[in-house]
Amino acid sequence: MCEWEPGISTQFPSTPGNQTEAAPSNLVLCLLKQGQSPVERRLTPHTPAASPSVPGQEDIQAAMPVEELDPSHYPATRAAKVAEHFINTRYGSPFAWFGSSGVKKAGLEFTLKEMTRNDMGLCSAEVLFHRADERKPPQVQCTCSGAFQVNTSAEEEDLYQRLRNATSLLSGSDIPNSVGHIDPEMAPFWHLGGVASSFIMLRESNESTLLNMAHIDNFTQMETKDAQLMFQYDILLHDMVSQEILKWKLLLSWSPDGGVKVLEAEWDPKCHKILFLHLFIIFLIYPNKTIY
Amino acid sequence: MQYFVVFLTLFLAVHSQRVFTGDQVLRINAESEEHIQILQTLQKEQEMELDFWIHPVSVDLPVDIHVPSVHLQKVKIFLQEHNIPFSVMINNLQVLLEDEQAEMEKNRIKERSSKSLNFGAYHDLYTIYNWMDSLVTEYPNLVSKEHIGLTYENHAMYVLKFSTGGSSRPAIWIDAGIHAREWVSSATAVWTANKIATDYGHDSSLTSLLNKMDIYLMIVTNPDGYVYTHTSDRMWRKTRSVNPGSMCRGVDPNRNWDAGFGGPGASSNPCSDSYHGPYAHSEVEVKNVVNFIQSHGQFKSFISIHAYSQLLMYPYGYTCTNVPDQAELDSVGRSAVNALSSLYGTQYKVGNICRIIYQASGGSIDWSYDIGIKYSFAFELRDTGRYGFLLPASQIIPTASETWLALKHIMEHVRDNAY
Repeated sequence: MCEWEPGISTQFPSTPGNQTEAAPSNLVLCLLKQGQSPVERRLTPHTPAASPSVPGQEDIQAAMPVEELDPSHYPATRAAKVAEHFINTRYGSPFAWFGSSGVKKAGLEFTLKEMTRNDMGLCSAEVLFHRADERKPPQVQCTCSGAFQVNTSAEEEDLYQRLRNATSLLSGSDIPNSVGHIDPEMAPFWHLGGVASSFIMLRESNESTLLNMAHIDNFTQMETKDAQLMFQYDILLHDMVSQEILKWKLLLSWSPDGGVKVLEAEWDPKCHKILFLHLFIIFLIYPNKTIY
Repeated sequence: MQYFVVFLTLFLAVHSQRVFTGDQVLRINAESEEHIQILQTLQKEQEMELDFWIHPVSVDLPVDIHVPSVHLQKVKIFLQEHNIPFSVMINNLQVLLEDEQAEMEKNRIKERSSKSLNFGAYHDLYTIYNWMDSLVTEYPNLVSKEHIGLTYENHAMYVLKFSTGGSSRPAIWIDAGIHAREWVSSATAVWTANKIATDYGHDSSLTSLLNKMDIYLMIVTNPDGYVYTHTSDRMWRKTRSVNPGSMCRGVDPNRNWDAGFGGPGASSNPCSDSYHGPYAHSEVEVKNVVNFIQSHGQFKSFISIHAYSQLLMYPYGYTCTNVPDQAELDSVGRSAVNALSSLYGTQYKVGNICRIIYQASGGSIDWSYDIGIKYSFAFELRDTGRYGFLLPASQIIPTASETWLALKHIMEHVRDNAY
């Protein structure tokens, strides 16, 4: 009755700071072309041989079976959403939050929007789902151009310095609120939550999910000794396919140089309050019992 | 120092009231990479003070440029010389801004009137129900309210009937808010109810429609859930019925209809947000609508309004097989969506539920189609995930306005294609 799993703590790769294109070795870059050149159309075929060499790549299959060539059908929408999450993990920041905003071609070209400034761009991507092992996150290769011409380092530095020099730790809650309102001072933390959520959503995505961040229940700035700012976030994700609301706790760090990093993440299962009471009582009686 | 402050204030005051008389917004449809490069060169031209609303990126995307009136001729000649096609999207930006200001002022005035509701805000059940009564009072010859049953928690279920008379006229059914957290759905329905009432007698198409057919509009189809989203959990979706043997309450009312009931895309777990319930029509809210539709017997269209995803869908959800009327429903859907997009450029996808969003059994429009209501459609309104269920109130009226164009198109087709 209560789907219970022990809290999952996970390590995540981080966004490179300052829009650099550094990336962990086995993941392929999502290339964002700064400036004037038109979008590249990738013609790489969807065969395992053409994929980068990653362990277990035999089970990689193309995201969409050959028959599904309609850009309005859900396989393309879901793949674009995965690419959106990938792009956020690479390039997101409190001043840069990306959303996929319309599939143009099923195999796969979609419009990308930078949502804080409404800048638009076009991306072509390959999204590969590991059908044999759904615990493996999908792999994304993409090329985008257009929406990234604005340099946000001034705003980032400004926010960073303000928080570093503040006398108290920042916190916020209920973002957006029930009627969709966000205080302007909270907006960068909404974007930051969205970007951090993309790390989770990318990992949790498969062919049967369509994930969005639904709500930030609260966030709290934590003390740090190093140059990174650190935040604890309680967020809700929404999966359009199952319609479930998924509660996650994230510990993340950010700085203009370091980018966004998710340090820890824990899924909070949906349980009735009375069940918690029962478990609490059980723990009192049997303090060493773990429940799976 | 004081002089500086005064100067700064004056400077700011002057510059905060910029006027755009004669400025135009041009939409350019680049046809080649060369065009894109030319436009990108244009972008670098500081002299002409061009304000790119959409930057030149690729031939697949439009390029929108706000051009100050003083530079208009130069820019148009430049585009013509390079054979770059363009159209004037906004003819006089200042007029548009003044119109918008006037509209907003009108709305503010309207809001202050006691009879009117603020359509640009979300309201609780009590407020909506009260307003429904005031609408009936204001338009007694057009609008009436029918009680179709009680919910699990004994809230009344009301449907507004728009009718100019007759008996057993063919009718159109529109329901909103069957999923509690989809607030913009009910907010859109409130605006729509007001739109129908106020446009009758003024809009010839709507008037001719209501002279032949009735419209039934259910603004809150899941009142228990809606109240729960206000009092306890903004993300609640289902009904609030108690599930025997489970600590989890509620059934997904859009998996509870007798259409492929219990099949793929619905859960048998009471804790799930897509729990189909113990049997079809187990939920009293669903049963009330089913009974009403069946005993009326003259519905020709059944439209259900949800959020979010920006989709207009037709059956089936429980199977990916095409319905016999696929071609016609698809065509009506596409024209409806074109009408919708014409207002603010909002992009919608059209198709059957199973292919567009997911396979889902027990859905309302599958049931309505299978009992012979051919024009069965489901909307998923704004947005596509940025705000999701928490759509800002400022987007209610734009959403309702654009959706109205699609609804109107569907209803006109129903009016003109009697069966």
